Amino acid sequence: MLDRLWSELRTRWRGLAHADRAEDDLDDEIAFHLERAQRALEARGVPADEARRQAHVAFGGLERTKADARDARGVRPLLDLGTDVRDAVRGLRGHRAFTLGVAGTLALGIGANAAMFGIVDRLMFRDPSGLRSPDRVHRVYVEWTENGERRRERNLAFPRFQDLARDAQTVDAVGAFQIRNSAVGQGDATHQALIGVVSASYVDFFDAPPVLGRWFDTADDRSPVGAPVAVLGHAYWLTRYGGRADVLGQSLQVDRMAATIIGVAPPGFAGISDRGGPAVFVPMSAFAYALRGPGYDGSYNWTWLELAVRLRPGVTTEEATTDLGAALIRSWRTESDVHKRATNVAQATPAIVLAPVPLGRGPDARLDARVSLWIGGVALLVLLIACANVANLLLSRTVSRQRELAMRLALGIGRARLMRQLVLEGLGLGLLGALGGVVLARVAGGPLRSVVLPEAEQVAVMTDPRTLVYAFALAVVAGVLTAIVPAWTVGRLDLAAALKSGGRGATHRRSRLQGGLVVVQAALSVVLLVGAALFVRSLQRAETHRLGYDAEALVFAEVNLRGTRLDDAGSAALADRLLATARQSPGVAAAATVASVPFWSNEARQVTVAGHADVSDLGRFTLQAGSADFFATTGTRVLRGRPFDGRDRAGTVPVIVVSDAMARVLWPGQDALVQCVRIGGAETPCRTVIGVAEDASMDAFNAPRRYTYYLPVDQFPDGRSLQLYARVAGAPETAAPDLRARLQPLLPGAAYVTVRPLATTIAPQFQGWRFGATMFVAFGALALLVAVLGLHSLIAYEAARREQEFGVRLALGATRERLLAMVVGRGATLALAGIAVGLSLALAASRWFEGLLFEQSARDPIVLGAVALTLAGLATVASAIPALKASRLDPTITLRAD
Amino acid sequence: MGDERLDLPQGTLDLLMLKALGAGPLHGWAIAERLHQVSKATLQVAQGSLYPALHRLERQGWIEAEWGASDNNRRAKYYRLTRAGRRRLADETASWDRLAKAVRLVLALD
Repeated sequence: MLDRLWSELRTRWRGLAHADRAEDDLDDEIAFHLERAQRALEARGVPADEARRQAHVAFGGLERTKADARDARGVRPLLDLGTDVRDAVRGLRGHRAFTLGVAGTLALGIGANAAMFGIVDRLMFRDPSGLRSPDRVHRVYVEWTENGERRRERNLAFPRFQDLARDAQTVDAVGAFQIRNSAVGQGDATHQALIGVVSASYVDFFDAPPVLGRWFDTADDRSPVGAPVAVLGHAYWLTRYGGRADVLGQSLQVDRMAATIIGVAPPGFAGISDRGGPAVFVPMSAFAYALRGPGYDGSYNWTWLELAVRLRPGVTTEEATTDLGAALIRSWRTESDVHKRATNVAQATPAIVLAPVPLGRGPDARLDARVSLWIGGVALLVLLIACANVANLLLSRTVSRQRELAMRLALGIGRARLMRQLVLEGLGLGLLGALGGVVLARVAGGPLRSVVLPEAEQVAVMTDPRTLVYAFALAVVAGVLTAIVPAWTVGRLDLAAALKSGGRGATHRRSRLQGGLVVVQAALSVVLLVGAALFVRSLQRAETHRLGYDAEALVFAEVNLRGTRLDDAGSAALADRLLATARQSPGVAAAATVASVPFWSNEARQVTVAGHADVSDLGRFTLQAGSADFFATTGTRVLRGRPFDGRDRAGTVPVIVVSDAMARVLWPGQDALVQCVRIGGAETPCRTVIGVAEDASMDAFNAPRRYTYYLPVDQFPDGRSLQLYARVAGAPETAAPDLRARLQPLLPGAAYVTVRPLATTIAPQFQGWRFGATMFVAFGALALLVAVLGLHSLIAYEAARREQEFGVRLALGATRERLLAMVVGRGATLALAGIAVGLSLALAASRWFEGLLFEQSARDPIVLGAVALTLAGLATVASAIPALKASRLDPTITLRAD
Repeated sequence: MGDERLDLPQGTLDLLMLKALGAGPLHGWAIAERLHQVSKATLQVAQGSLYPALHRLERQGWIEAEWGASDNNRRAKYYRLTRAGRRRLADETASWDRLAKAVRLVLALD
């Protein structure tokens, strides 16, 4: 059996590889045969000419024999394939306009997909560059129950990392890391950069040999002190140091740590990061020691590290989860001992969740990751619509080529081969589309990615093998998909009818098919338009949603002391100086120091209120403390009572302003004013409620159970911080650098101040909706355009083919209005069918879609109605154009034609 | 004479060619001649159909081909049975015998 197969393969291969030689051999063989036959006849006395003739007759058809012999060698289909490919290329080149139109349509579809693939792949599927045995590496999340609520956290404390790394039996390695924004450099060269604070064990997760120097190892990362060393990211090394080799040994200030550069990471290495490649990697211990000083390694309160584990080979995720869970419970008990706190492990039931490394596939996936996946699906829909359109175009062309195709069939070409030629044409179109698509994705993909992957470095399209493979796989699928329908009609072509009628046969069936394709296009565009409208409305609602402060008018300044130590008095004096300078800066209307910055840094403190045993059961109470002008600066409205102001000083009656929701949850049905709130335990002073302010989003967007209270910072020294708000008159983007230039000179030593528009901390909250709205609108418009064009060309085509019939009708007395109604009616029927199908699809999908929207129902009748009307309107216009043309026919001319 | 010449039943050409090659390597023309002579000119083989059949047998691994010099030093392609071909010849011969016997039995019924 095997040798059979072998000889089969060998002959086929020889046949193919040496097709020309095999042909020559066959010629020789036959010539030899004829020669011998002729000589045999001559030997019997037949004259030479007659002998040659008889030899040929006895042999039979020469070409037929050769073709049969080729068949027997098994190379014919492949030789024909070569011919067919040449034919297909020639055909495509022959109809250049048609080819370009079709390839352009497919390019739009494939380009959309290639661009989206790059994003979705990076957010959800691609393993970090250089990661060893990625299938055994997981990200660690911790879950526990607190106040009756299941919480989840992936930022863990340093001793927690140590406990887990020591106790876990099922893992090879535990790596800890934090990707953070920090001040890097010294003096004027100081700038904010992404840095990777990582454990030595983390480095071992990767196969990332440094291009220069070395990585830090366990000796450099021995807690608590560690060694102040740094490894530069490759891109940072190139841009900041010009790729010079003498960086090794130079010093670099990284946040509070004065580090020595010992190596340069390989190109493309980012570690595990969803925010792009860090500029610098530093060992965790040394960084933490510089930041927090001794004792950081015993504190379970400072949760700042993310964990990755690599399972031992053969260990299942379940086994590792159980094992790490046991280690976590031991660690939880140790924590209780260390902090002298009674924690009820049975009640908290802490547990480990192991999830894929990309955040997008973990339990904490951000909205934009989920939205990206949807948009990836939408891109596929766009491609499907493009395919339907192209299939329709090809079908129309097949029909006009019907006589040619029938002729070829009649001349003996096999149906299978004819169908194959059509599929090859489709593939050719698909590949052209892919080429165009990849270029499109490269050109248009950049801005697109900057919407969703703002911090990531530019992503290659043309040089990324995964994207290219994806694009070309899509091209093949699209090519086959578009060619299947015309090929199928050829398979069923009625030869006699086609030859006789000159291509007018089979019109009805084809029309139904083409109509069906138009309905599919219309239905899919309805789905996309509904999605687009829902996202746009979500974004509008989110952006006009009152945050509880005037984010768009505020900038905030934050001081990073970087090792400069200030006592309380020094710190207060500095805060006052900063505030005074900010107030006098041009363009600043008001300024106030603040304790919390929304979505940036804020803290919740224990609150004690008479009548409530433990208010933390009710939700999260965020502390905000500000200087006298706080409310005037932020624009937070006080609904009842009064805001605190300059009258509320250190010696006066302690006061507090609470948010509306907080007032209602703490004192339902009562007046909140003059109630008493204590910050901390029952022994702390009573603070009298003097005002109720509007609700504010501090750490989550429009989330329930979130409350805020405001204290005058003079009455609450704990809330003092080196952060301040400034209310600016002009654009915050231009005001921020001006303000920074004025504040920076006030700072001592290596201290550093950043000034940012507050909107920049909040913008990421809108990102999911903004991205969804942008992409759905773009893709929806694209889909609509393609679908309407498809409808228009079908109606125009049908009308053109029915001109003679229309002529007859007109001659028999039909009115022009009647013809108009007939043609428009056909378009409207198709559009209505598409709308009906599309709306049903949209309603069916609404259940999954709802979670992505903001204060917007996925079944909003206004949205659905508006989309239906838009499409119906456009469809009517699209079919009215050919209808008008048809109704203006002159029967005397039409009837004479053909 | 025309009445006595038979068209080959489907599938028997392969067997006959294998048999012809059983005696030793032959070129195409010689195979045609051999079949013609041995069957005493009874079997009608379209000479043209010989070559596709030879190529098919070659592809199946039952025969192999080699260029060599013919008796008058002309380049000719010689076919030779492979070991698989020999086995095939034995199998085919046996099953042909069985078939012929069975057919004869049925025909002898009357």
